Amino acid sequence: MTSTTTDFPFPPHHSFPPFYTLQPVLSTRTSQLASWSHLIQAYCRHHRLFQLSLRDAADGPLFYNRALGRRLSLKDAREVVEWMASKEGGERAEWVGDKERDRFWVWWRRPEEWAGVIAAWVEATGQKNTVLTLYELTESDATASQEFHGMDPELLQRSLQILVKRGKAQIFGSDDSLGVKFF
Amino acid sequence: MFLRQLDLTTALRPSLLPDETLLFVQDAVGLYEGSYKLPNHQNGHAYLTSHRACYVDNEEPRKYSVALELKDVDKSDFYAGFLKSSPKITLYPKPSKRASLTPWGPPLSVSGSARLSPTSTPPTRHGSPARSFAPSPVPPVTTATWICPICSFSNPVPTNFDPATANAHTPLPPCLACGIKPPLIHVVKAAIAGISKRQAPVVAPVPQRNFDPFASLSQTQLAAAPSFICPRCTFENHPSLIACEMCGASLVSAPDKRLDLSDAASRRIESPGPFLDDQSIESDSVECVKFSFRAGGEKIFYERLKGALVQRKWLLYSAPPVPKPNNPPGAPQNGRSTFNASSSSPIPEKGIGIAGLERRGAELRKNNEVVIGSAFEDLEALMTSAKEIIALAEQFASQASMSSNGNASEANALISQSASALGLVTTKDMLGSGSGSESLYVSELSRNLAEFLTDDSKGILKREGGIMSLVDLWAVFNRARGGVELVSPADFEKAAQMWDKLKLPVRLRRFKSGLLVVQGRDRTDEKTIASLRAWLKELHFDIPKDEVTWDWTHFGRGITAQETAQRFGWSVGVASEELEMAEEKGALCREQGFDGLKFWENWLVELPVETPGSSQQ
Repeated sequence: MTSTTTDFPFPPHHSFPPFYTLQPVLSTRTSQLASWSHLIQAYCRHHRLFQLSLRDAADGPLFYNRALGRRLSLKDAREVVEWMASKEGGERAEWVGDKERDRFWVWWRRPEEWAGVIAAWVEATGQKNTVLTLYELTESDATASQEFHGMDPELLQRSLQILVKRGKAQIFGSDDSLGVKFF
Repeated sequence: MFLRQLDLTTALRPSLLPDETLLFVQDAVGLYEGSYKLPNHQNGHAYLTSHRACYVDNEEPRKYSVALELKDVDKSDFYAGFLKSSPKITLYPKPSKRASLTPWGPPLSVSGSARLSPTSTPPTRHGSPARSFAPSPVPPVTTATWICPICSFSNPVPTNFDPATANAHTPLPPCLACGIKPPLIHVVKAAIAGISKRQAPVVAPVPQRNFDPFASLSQTQLAAAPSFICPRCTFENHPSLIACEMCGASLVSAPDKRLDLSDAASRRIESPGPFLDDQSIESDSVECVKFSFRAGGEKIFYERLKGALVQRKWLLYSAPPVPKPNNPPGAPQNGRSTFNASSSSPIPEKGIGIAGLERRGAELRKNNEVVIGSAFEDLEALMTSAKEIIALAEQFASQASMSSNGNASEANALISQSASALGLVTTKDMLGSGSGSESLYVSELSRNLAEFLTDDSKGILKREGGIMSLVDLWAVFNRARGGVELVSPADFEKAAQMWDKLKLPVRLRRFKSGLLVVQGRDRTDEKTIASLRAWLKELHFDIPKDEVTWDWTHFGRGITAQETAQRFGWSVGVASEELEMAEEKGALCREQGFDGLKFWENWLVELPVETPGSSQQ
């Protein structure tokens, strides 16, 4: 699922020491949280990550700059994710399960956006009114050039559900072999 | 010119001459010339110093403030007030200062003015400002006598003898009967006694109702004769008491309660007297000047005015220097002095080399011995040689502090310097009472503090980097007062909070944490931030000592409160408050590391904030 082909080019402020201390002054703090949000989304897009675990990521290069010797503490990282999930942060994150607050979705593209991308692809390739399996959508060679190639199946389902609600698709079949028909 | 323009300090108080001391302050005072009110001089503070009586206007202090030299004052009168007329103190200029045709003719006090206007100047004393007048029309008659200790013959005190300036130089005539010269102290005592006797017959030219017969007595007599009659129990109190010894009623301004209709009425500025319409305040033809006290305080003002007129400190300013060591030492004491100040002093020997230095040292010590010895013999003699003794004491103090291994901190040195220079102390007993006594004290203290802070010779604020905590200032200020008349923290804070209201050049600032600091009015947050920024910019070119992993040419480096304190000369508490202030304004951001809190230029606000998803939509 992860493709670490090339290293993610971290922005210069990733090595700015105060970046790892949450600022007490509101305006500065907002700007800092926005930069963190931006960085996390860019990082996940680069590595095609859809979910992150705070505990695992805390020691990863995203939150821990080994060269600088600075890290964002687990508590502060949670603050960042909370902010991303809030309206103010553009709802760019979502906790997976309400209790633990460890794993979270990173919406570098929100489900509605994904739905739009898939619908546009279906339109462009003239596959309306044909039935596609979910596996075909994400794993076949035909979609290799598309962003949703290798997409998390849960996210794919959520995105398709949005299309269903809009009346643009219909899902049928049982758990293992789900098919989708676009209108 | 009787009334002169007055120089004010930064805090809008009269700037004092060297040796001048503040004696009394009273607010709600108006000024009259003759029987006419002076326009624009009807609501102000009256400052009595040892040299002058000053009026500082409340509204336009720089424009309408005048001073009156006490040395030009011939005599003073006291009018206790009647019904709606406020108590007044009248000051009459000396004859030479008055126009030739004054309605009252030559002043009556001339007969007793041997001490006031010396007509014949002794050859040894030159340049005294008090001696530049034209001689009085009537030759002075002396009434003072001294009794020869040898033969008990009663000799007249010489007319040109002035107890305030007399010292070992002053030539003394021998006894008329036995030809033996008297001791100096003896003559000084006799002269002072004579002055106090002569004061009594001086009568005011215009008799006034409620005229207090004791008011014209000199201070020496007042010390013996109680003059303050308690308005409640009629007990005669000593003049220096503030409250009645018998019943505890306040004596300071004891207006009849029936007359004192209300606070506002007692402080009224509009009083029914006519105004003087022309602006000739500084004209020569001033016949007299009246201070009208609308909120009390007139009695203490008058007492201290009389004291100042008797003491005549302005003469000390031009008093002759310490007797030279090559004069025969001890001459005045042994009573058989043969020295003649002008002729008998030998040509000073020129000491050469170490021997010369040693001899000079020995002579100096001997001279000091003589000065101290003669000074402490008698209190009056001490008064005559006060200036020399003060100079000696200061010299000893500086020697003592030098020999203490330079251990004393800068603040201590500062205090020992300033303790003597701190002439402008505001104390509670210096201020008049009345309705606004407490606020007058606080506002005077506030001005006093502002002067203390902005005085360039002390440079207190500058030494502390332009900013210091109020607590530190309180400590330094109280120590500078030398342990007397200490200011309570509550009064101190109130005084500091008056700075804004009085438009003084310092301001009180409260930091987020509640810390109160004092700084110059011109030092704003913007300036502080600008200087912090400039410093951080410099660090972009300053190669860090340790290996750093960030791009220091781009980000610079973080600064701690300690570094900042060191760099700007602030205390650490002030430095961290200033850094937090700059942080709050968005100029800095913080980094909480293992090695403490550091502040950086705020690059965080300049980072790109757009999200990748939204940029593609």
